[in-house]
Amino acid sequence: MHAETKDAIVIGAGPAGLTASYELAKHGIRSTILEADQLVGGISRTVNYKGYRFDIGGHRFFSKVPLINEVWDEIIDEDMLIRPRLSRIHYRGHFFDYPLQAGNALSGLGLIEACLIGLSYARTKVFPSRQERNFEEWVANRFGYRLYNIFFKTYTEKVWGIPCTEISADWAAQRIKNLSLVEAVRNALLGGSGKTKDGKIITTLIDKFKYPRLGPGMMWECCESRLEAQGNHTLRGRRVERIRHTQGRVECVYARTNEGELEEFSGDQFFSTMPLRELISALDPAPPDEVLRAANSLAYRDYLTVVLMVKRDKVFPDNWIYIHSPEVKMGRIQNYKNWSPEMVPDSTRTSLGLEYFLWDVDDEWNWSKDRLIDLGMKETIALKLIEENEVEDGTVVRMKKAYPIYDQFYKEHLDVIRRYLATITNLQTIGRNGQHRYNNQDHSMLTGIYAARNVVGANYDIWSVNVEQEYHEETVSDEKATGDRLIPQRVEPDIDAEKVAPDAVIRAAFAKMDPFALGVAMGLVFAISLFMATAALLVKGGDVVGPHLSLLGHFFIGYEVTWLGALLGLIEAGIGGFMIGYVGAGLRNWTMSTYTKLLKRRAEMDQSKDLLDKV
Amino acid sequence: MSTQNADQEVSRAIARMKAGILAFIFAIIGGGGLFVMTAWLLVKGGPQVGKTLNLLGHFFIGYEVTWLGAFVGLIYGALTGGIIGWCIGIVYNRIVGIPSTS
Ligand SMILES: Cc1cc2nc3c(=O)[nH]c(=O)nc-3n(C[C@H](O)[C@H](O)[C@H](O)COP(=O)(O)OP(=O)(O)OC[C@H]3O[C@@H](n4cnc5c(N)ncnc54)[C@H](O)[C@@H]3O)c2cc1C
Repeated sequence: MHAETKDAIVIGAGPAGLTASYELAKHGIRSTILEADQLVGGISRTVNYKGYRFDIGGHRFFSKVPLINEVWDEIIDEDMLIRPRLSRIHYRGHFFDYPLQAGNALSGLGLIEACLIGLSYARTKVFPSRQERNFEEWVANRFGYRLYNIFFKTYTEKVWGIPCTEISADWAAQRIKNLSLVEAVRNALLGGSGKTKDGKIITTLIDKFKYPRLGPGMMWECCESRLEAQGNHTLRGRRVERIRHTQGRVECVYARTNEGELEEFSGDQFFSTMPLRELISALDPAPPDEVLRAANSLAYRDYLTVVLMVKRDKVFPDNWIYIHSPEVKMGRIQNYKNWSPEMVPDSTRTSLGLEYFLWDVDDEWNWSKDRLIDLGMKETIALKLIEENEVEDGTVVRMKKAYPIYDQFYKEHLDVIRRYLATITNLQTIGRNGQHRYNNQDHSMLTGIYAARNVVGANYDIWSVNVEQEYHEETVSDEKATGDRLIPQRVEPDIDAEKVAPDAVIRAAFAKMDPFALGVAMGLVFAISLFMATAALLVKGGDVVGPHLSLLGHFFIGYEVTWLGALLGLIEAGIGGFMIGYVGAGLRNWTMSTYTKLLKRRAEMDQSKDLLDKV
Repeated sequence: MSTQNADQEVSRAIARMKAGILAFIFAIIGGGGLFVMTAWLLVKGGPQVGKTLNLLGHFFIGYEVTWLGAFVGLIYGALTGGIIGWCIGIVYNRIVGIPSTS
């Protein structure tokens, strides 16, 4: 057995592990990355098959975190393309625009179906599901049952492998950012909800995205090369099997090479991106039973892609198509040359990635490569996208544990695991499966950066980095200080400052008026005004005192221009003024609250438009 | 701050009035209103121009339905409107417990 010692050991050369190592290097800490596979990039790798490059799915690079965009630019600046996005939905022989457009959706579905959709929508508006317990009820309440059945049900069930009635409504709600009143008003009045560092509105990222010239793997291969040049090695074909720890510290890890040899790596700090379930079972000594049980309960969805090389230069213009048609098993189909023209070796050819979401116990998971290619071909032909004689070649890539499952109990299990891991002080778990989080690359990377900074004195809670995080509220700790716990400071104050002023105005404008206070104020002013007007005429005197003002007696019973009338007027005008003020404030509050509810509803509908991207 | 908290914060917040601004608005309405009403009667003309509006002269000394009176009314109307607006603002703010800053 061979043994090596380094400052830091990173398990896994996916985005999180490589970024952690990259950040450590910036702080002068040397690290070794142990990667089980022969490729770097993890799920964000690019596979090269006879010059055809393809991702596991398709990896858009977009992030609202300025820090992440900076890292991407640092690693491969000029090789990053800005690509237009086109993705449609395929359903029963028709293509539908995505995000859904009412006109296009209705014309594709036909008049009768359109009417039925309209009726079903109206029905759910009049009789919505009282309780939104599951995904089905949540979506149907917003779009109607018929539209839900066509555009959400099949695809969601294909991806997650469970009926929509068993997916919790929270999961859908989490994907649609619940805008606060102030945000909804700000969006309605000022446009998009946020801005990038250079001031561009984030919503445009839905139409365009960044993509490395040679696929996402290019980013991670470049990152690996940069690390290598600084003496931080990535050792491929090293699967970590055992993690020895004592007295709350990891001492070393043991990795199995492809040749079956066991190697020992010791270090001061350890970072793990391996799935939590495997990490816990690799710990030596083993954690308490409760922790083992919790880890074994974590579930994952597996993923398989069949790539077909087609003898045609253009098959369809989309980057990808969502396949909702229930007749086929594939969930999505990628056209890699539309991501970057350099993904194919010959521009007269097209490579299509057919995506299948499976469990590793499903029959198809264990099918031979040829059988899977055959299935893929048949389905793509059935969808009328290609002809039988056009397929030249094909290959299959399987990715286990591509999706951490958020089932009913995962949070409880995760809590148990986190509590236990907190007792091991020099081990941080980062990334998607490392934290059992449904993260994209950016959040996976952010956990890596924060974890690396933590070893040089910062105090980030890496578990708080997730999809819900408001990026501009990102906090950092001052590393220059002595290593004490430090008060987080805001970064990107420019973005916040821009928002604070309109927000304050919106808050002030939408604050409620106090009906009682306005009633009293107006009552007092009315009462005193009438009393003084009456008194002025009485003091002035004359033959007929105040004949015209006396006409107010029509409204204020008993009022006349006399001293008694002045007192009666004082009381009655006070009551009248109070009523006007009270009702006026109430009406104004009601109008404002109805208006803001309308804005919130509209904002939520806008957000729901790209719900499929978040499935 | 969570969305719910943010919304609760807005729904609990009680509007304050800027007494100065309210006074200004009422002054414009009062002064401008009286000026326009007087001018309208003068432009319309007739045998007994502004018989009823003239009665305001009981309260606003020097006011009458003439062009000079229109300007006098402008000042009186603005003053009265301003005072009424300011009083409403001050009393309202006192009641909701927020001191007026203007
Ligand atoms: C179909 C699909 C589409 C996606 N699309 C996008 C997208 O458009 N944009 C985006 O930003 N993100 C996308 N993602 C998410 C993105 O792939 C992940 O967020 C990202 O790859 C997670 O990085 P990671 O380093 O945390 O984990 P991983 O990518 O899983 O990397 C972990 C690495 O650790 C290695 N490893 C595991 N166990 C061991 C062990 N015991 N010893 C040694 N090494 C080990 C693995 O081999 C792997 O290389 C997509 C994911 C999927 C499944």
